[in-house]
Amino acid sequence: MSEQHAAQESYIYEVRHVDKSYGSVVALHDVSLGVRAGEVIGLVGDNGAGKSTLVKVLSGAHQPDTGTILLDGHEQRWRSTHQVLQAGIETLYQDSGLAPNLTVSANVFLGREIPVKGILGKLGFLADKQMDVTAHQDLESAGIGVPASNRGVSQLSGGQRQAVAIGRAVSWARKVIILDEPTNHLGARQAKEVLDVIRAAKAKGLGVIFISHTLPHILEVTDRIVVLRLGQIVRDAPTSEFDAESLLGTITGLISSS
Amino acid sequence: MSQQTTPTTAPQPPATTSRTAGASSGPRPLAQVLGNQQVILVVVLAVMVAVFSVINPKFFSVGVFGNILVDWAPIALIAIGQTFVVISGGIDLSVGSTITISGVVAAFAMQAITGAGVSDPVSILMGAVVAILTGVVVGLVNAVLINQARLVPFIATLATLGAGAGLSLVLTKGGPVGGGPPSAINLSVPVLGPLSWPVVVVAAVALIGGAFLHRARFGRYTYAIGGNQFSAVASGIAVKRHITKVYVLSGALAGTAGMVTYLTLSSGSPSSGLGDELNAIAAVVIGGASLTGGVGRMGGTILGSLILTTVTSGLIVSNIDPNWNQVVVAILIAAAVSLQTLRGSHQRRKP
Repeated sequence: MSEQHAAQESYIYEVRHVDKSYGSVVALHDVSLGVRAGEVIGLVGDNGAGKSTLVKVLSGAHQPDTGTILLDGHEQRWRSTHQVLQAGIETLYQDSGLAPNLTVSANVFLGREIPVKGILGKLGFLADKQMDVTAHQDLESAGIGVPASNRGVSQLSGGQRQAVAIGRAVSWARKVIILDEPTNHLGARQAKEVLDVIRAAKAKGLGVIFISHTLPHILEVTDRIVVLRLGQIVRDAPTSEFDAESLLGTITGLISSS
Repeated sequence: MSQQTTPTTAPQPPATTSRTAGASSGPRPLAQVLGNQQVILVVVLAVMVAVFSVINPKFFSVGVFGNILVDWAPIALIAIGQTFVVISGGIDLSVGSTITISGVVAAFAMQAITGAGVSDPVSILMGAVVAILTGVVVGLVNAVLINQARLVPFIATLATLGAGAGLSLVLTKGGPVGGGPPSAINLSVPVLGPLSWPVVVVAAVALIGGAFLHRARFGRYTYAIGGNQFSAVASGIAVKRHITKVYVLSGALAGTAGMVTYLTLSSGSPSSGLGDELNAIAAVVIGGASLTGGVGRMGGTILGSLILTTVTSGLIVSNIDPNWNQVVVAILIAAAVSLQTLRGSHQRRKP
């Protein structure tokens, strides 16, 4: 557990000594983790290990009971997810999905719409054409091709919807992107595309926190792996120190933490 | 959005994305036009008018159309509000009794104002303001019950439905409230063809409402919240605040409908608006909205409300027992929803 403290200074986003309980249930205990710019960390753990809670703390959906959150070394007290988005941190929640009846570009711009110029814009009228063009350009540059369409995204396949959701997060993120189970329910080919998008985000200089149960994906794309078990971090080490077997053992607790 | 658009690793566009929704440009195939709920509604409305006109040629007249539109105005107003509510994933059962109580409260206000010797136009204008504000109050109560007291919209607005109806009876002791501006009744009489002033106001409200629903941020957030509330929250939308706005809008439009109803009766009646919430919901559902939220069109609502009021008047003009009205409306609702479900299962792709 000492190696992550050595390079603490260079973390773009980190939490230190975070505790979070729901009633009598301790979801996180003394959790410290950080991600550097251009680094992909994998966050793994069994069901109930506290991954989702940690994601909620990182995305501002929940406030930790104790502990600190630092962005670029400055302490933050998130009061809303909106504040976190404004700070350049994007989160793709597990199965949060998209607004099914809005178009691809309306989804990409949801919460950050571009108004038309003038008084109509002040009333909230939207520059849909402009958003259409920009959205598809941005998705393309994130490595995602989706058909231009004026239909709701519910008309797209599950893989396409997930691609849009990830592309949306990547194109808006300025600092960090948190992906909770982005390859869930995806076929092998689509999952590979998601991993490519993660690599692209890394190349863009974003810090990526990648949560997944699919250990081969974690081993393939991450620089470092953090293992959560029963609300505590039991291992935080470069990916090169793991293989499939030792990673699984650490997650399940069959291999004790070093 | 992203400041840099560096062509990074640029993987191949997903192969899964090639074949979808190619129908967005170019001439649309006939099946798709027929699949458009609004096209079907126009046809249904036209057929209805034709059938009723054949049964009784007097039906096809400016006079009858004028009456239909006057009946339509309050229903359309609450249906427009209900469209936003239903698309946001909620329901507003209180609109019927909001018509009642806002009409009653406005009637008392105009009684006092006219009694004080104020001119009719000023009295009517102030009555309208009072009616709308009464509706806003009901909307705020609904929003507090939903957002703060955490009631589901059905229960919250069921409570205000009962409270509004009961309060109206208490205030009026069961009788109509007259003594308002004498010339108020003239306002509900057609001035140009079948058009009366309330109808012109409602048409304007429908156009503006449609623009905000389909072209502005307000509508976009309404769809987003109704379609997937979690993704709306995750997108940083202030969901509770938006829900409040939606119910206040519905209340304000119901208050406006209360004023329109006052004009047609020239008094505030504790029985006006009774059961109108179901007409509003029926109009919205016939118009293609889904009570599960996220789906609906303003054009559909307007056509749905027109069909409803046409059925009512048509049955009367055709000398058919008007009690058949509810049966016909029931059939229309069932047909509209079934059509929507069939289209949905036809179009939706499997993941």
